[in-house]
Amino acid sequence: MQAIPIITFEAANQLLNALTDYLEKSEASFALVIDRGGSILSQHGDIPAGSDMTILAALAAGSYAATRELATRIGEADFSTLHQEGQKMQLLMSAVDEDVVLVTGFGPQTALGLVRFYAARAVPQVAAIIQDARAAQRPAVPIFTAADVAAAFPR
Amino acid sequence: MAIVNYVNKEIQFKVVYYGPALCGKTTNLTYIHGQVAEAHKGELVSLATAADRTLFFDFLPLNAVVIKGFKTKFQLYTVPGQVMYNATRQLVLRSVDGIVFVADSQWDKMEENVESFKNLQDNLAEQGSSLDQLPYLLQYNKRDLPNVAPLHYLEYLLNNRRVRVPSFEAAATTGQGVFASLNAISRMLLQKFAREHDTMAGNRQQPAAPPARIVLSGIAAATLRR
Repeated sequence: MQAIPIITFEAANQLLNALTDYLEKSEASFALVIDRGGSILSQHGDIPAGSDMTILAALAAGSYAATRELATRIGEADFSTLHQEGQKMQLLMSAVDEDVVLVTGFGPQTALGLVRFYAARAVPQVAAIIQDARAAQRPAVPIFTAADVAAAFPR
Repeated sequence: MAIVNYVNKEIQFKVVYYGPALCGKTTNLTYIHGQVAEAHKGELVSLATAADRTLFFDFLPLNAVVIKGFKTKFQLYTVPGQVMYNATRQLVLRSVDGIVFVADSQWDKMEENVESFKNLQDNLAEQGSSLDQLPYLLQYNKRDLPNVAPLHYLEYLLNNRRVRVPSFEAAATTGQGVFASLNAISRMLLQKFAREHDTMAGNRQQPAAPPARIVLSGIAAATLRR
């Protein structure tokens, strides 16, 4: 497993640009980039009212992980995409790399084929950004120190 | 591994409550969810069977203390305790940052406790990790029941690795020890994070963190209903 990057301003902007372009072309409603532990790395689009994206990400990661496990049980290394269809909304999950998944939500305003087509193009872009973020140097100054943590937990 | 987002100024940690079937993992999360103010929590999601046994996981997102302008977020998960769901436990353990091992204090559950603890170590090894690398603590639950083993016996059975870890008595149904455990694992995670990032940033090595004490501050003080 590769370390998940620190999301710097530069990486965040690059991810946002990639997702903006993807949503414009695919006409999907929203997109999330999540790690397979269930944490959100980036998100963009019209989030359905009342939806908690943190929970959606955790459930999507669990669903994707279970599907991947199913794949290995029938001799596949992975299922690269997972599609769920409801009455109004659909979800498409696409593997970006070993540790990252692109989750797309869309309604009847677009078509599965179109979303799939542009998701396949967005995935390598997102993968490249994540790869660069992994390789990027750590910030020179620590975010906080053990003393700061101790101060936040007074005895 | 914790995820740092400089744009939102957030740091996210994943904590997994692990332990044998019916030891009280879900009860821990239910109690926490009931006590934390709305602004500091998300929805408690349970993927359970019709009989309310955890099938996949329970999930509770919490917003906790702000340190140096960074919001700390803790995503709490439970695993299904039943032996047959081991593949699911492996999935939930993915990218875990810290573990609360919930043991059932009842005498007749000792074998299950030991097996579950061994299973945890095996599953971590499967993903190239180990308890040597992860902050974890032990919660001895169900201390309010009459037929419980003494603490020293539980320590002898479970807290016998090279480095002893913090352990807490609990009765999750009443909330005893629940926030003490959560507070301690949060503090351990933040201290580890601070040490690692200080080192990676090229600064001096921080001294080893002192063992976490039972303090109802930090998470609890910041998030409890007022």
